[in-house]
Amino acid sequence: MKPTRALTLVLGALLLAWVAQAAVGYWQVGRLEPVLNEETNLTVPPVPSGLAHTGARVFASEGCLECHSLSTRGPKDSADITRGWGQRRSVPRDYLFRDPAMLGLARIGPDLSNVGARMPEAEKLLQHIYDPQLLKKSSTCPPHPWLFTKTPSGPKVEPDALKVSPDGWHQLIPTYQAKALVAYLQSLNANYALPEAPLK
Amino acid sequence: MNRSTLPKGSTAALVLILGSTIWSLLGAGLSLFSNAQLLIPWLDRLIPAPWFNYGRLVPASQFLLSYGWLGSGLLGVLLILAPRFSGIAFRYGRLLFGGALLWQLAILGGFTQILLEGSSGLIGLPQTRFVSILLILSFLVLGTGLTRGLGRSWKSGPLLPRLYLLLGLLAFPLGLGSAEVLLRGTSAPGSVQLIAQLLWHSFHHHLWLAPLGLVLVFQLLPSLTGRAVSSLNLGLLAWSATALLGGWLGTVRASDGPIPSWMQSTGVVAGILMAFVAIANGLLIQNLTEGRWEEIRRNVALRFISVGAWSYACAYVLLAFLSLPWIRPVLTFTVAWSAFLEVFHYIFLGSVLTGSVYALLPVSREMGWPNSSALTWHFWSTTLGAAFVVASLILAGSFQGLALSDPGVPISTLASYLRPFLFVVVIAQVAWLVGQVAFTAVLFASLLRLFPAAAPMAVFRNPTVVRPVSVGHLHG
Repeated sequence: MKPTRALTLVLGALLLAWVAQAAVGYWQVGRLEPVLNEETNLTVPPVPSGLAHTGARVFASEGCLECHSLSTRGPKDSADITRGWGQRRSVPRDYLFRDPAMLGLARIGPDLSNVGARMPEAEKLLQHIYDPQLLKKSSTCPPHPWLFTKTPSGPKVEPDALKVSPDGWHQLIPTYQAKALVAYLQSLNANYALPEAPLK
Repeated sequence: MNRSTLPKGSTAALVLILGSTIWSLLGAGLSLFSNAQLLIPWLDRLIPAPWFNYGRLVPASQFLLSYGWLGSGLLGVLLILAPRFSGIAFRYGRLLFGGALLWQLAILGGFTQILLEGSSGLIGLPQTRFVSILLILSFLVLGTGLTRGLGRSWKSGPLLPRLYLLLGLLAFPLGLGSAEVLLRGTSAPGSVQLIAQLLWHSFHHHLWLAPLGLVLVFQLLPSLTGRAVSSLNLGLLAWSATALLGGWLGTVRASDGPIPSWMQSTGVVAGILMAFVAIANGLLIQNLTEGRWEEIRRNVALRFISVGAWSYACAYVLLAFLSLPWIRPVLTFTVAWSAFLEVFHYIFLGSVLTGSVYALLPVSREMGWPNSSALTWHFWSTTLGAAFVVASLILAGSFQGLALSDPGVPISTLASYLRPFLFVVVIAQVAWLVGQVAFTAVLFASLLRLFPAAAPMAVFRNPTVVRPVSVGHLHG
């Protein structure tokens, strides 16, 4: 084989993989737009808030993806939907406004693509982030105490302090990162119908 | 040793190989500890600090093993090998040395950043853009040096290693550069970002690391066994198929919704076809090693490279199995995929890299290896350790997949299914680490000439003369 032919073949193969996946992918799913939900008169998927956007970075930096995926699989009677991880399968349009868009390739813990619908209360999410064993003794999810400030409880209780105390005489104040992470988790709510993925 | 007699690029190769050895210990140590955290969740609470968290240790160890151990090590041994493909010596030794140092700096920077600030969450790109730029710059310097291996007429010298080298040299900068542009240089929509991540995942593993490993397999196995590749046409077919299919293998990791279904189907087809590519290369490897068992037993370099070469075939057969349409929905998101990466990284690339260091470092540094039982320990400990990790992960992944597919099984019990297998994984990882520590000790002792060399394994007799490989320069 001549060097020029080998070079052409390699460049052609690499280019084919890129063009076919990135360029055709862009053409196929990159131009998707939000759709109007006629019931709520709002567009879906919703644009996440700035706080949720920051929370996505916290989610990534804490390595939650090492155990949790962010994609519900169909069909309607699939294990994912029967478990209550979502009302429908995830589709490319769901990821339209996610930056960074994360997928997660492991499931040691539950899928989180719809955790905002399953667990909407901020207090519960914060408690889980601080120490998952507060809510479930058998949880193997690691605690994240560095996302909270521990201050002595006094006569004045901080309004955003957690309702649980690690020792009875300290209060736990969530940091900005913890609040952002909760906002991100709450934004993971795909309980809306899309033309290509109706609700069950 | 007189420094002036050393070939240019020898110091750069040494920096890359030593760096690779140190990163392997650190990366495998962190991987061991993170698995222990999964086994004993109490360990997570030992030090309440973000850098000690499971979610940071895992990407940090993967980064170290992939870019630090394998990337650095493969580039190091190729710097020794490349001038000998073509007979063209390196001209700018200091530039290569700078490139090698820059690569180590990028690894150190990436590792520190992941531990202190966390991963980016992007598949295959846990590091910051700055670290990626350092890696690309360093690779451009080292890769430009390595193009010397492609030089002169292709009619003389081996063809397959050159073709795989060409593939690996182009795939890394193109893949990483375009992934960076698409993921962090522009505001691509989220759905396109997912495709770009999986694409880089394919390039990284199947078009960069695997071809670099195959350069060593198809260069050193013929040199060490004294046989030529039996069918060049079959080799060319396998090479072309690797180039064509390799970029599609990442999409098989996404199951169902997030990316278009035709891409997933193409990934499935590519994954299954890779089994045939692996079998084709396996036939060539079989012909190279058949009847050489005594030599493989005696020569630790040949033993490592043979095990690595066979593991290449096993890795892709496993990938094809995981891609089967009725297996994929069950085993996606399970540790069975970690088993594939374990065979791929630790046994295929790790063994080929180690065998190449045993074979090529004496050429580059005018040194020999001690006739020490540490070499035997190294082989058995790392190979058996990695094999047990793979077997445990496949079993664990199967149970995990079945449990995930059954909605009646609570997700909270999943960890208890994995625990017995994780226990074996942790023990086996300790064994692997012990073997790698033995190798590191032997490597440093040999470089410092702490004991007499008694086990020559060099593939080239005269280290100072750069010339193409032929059967005439086989054994030291």
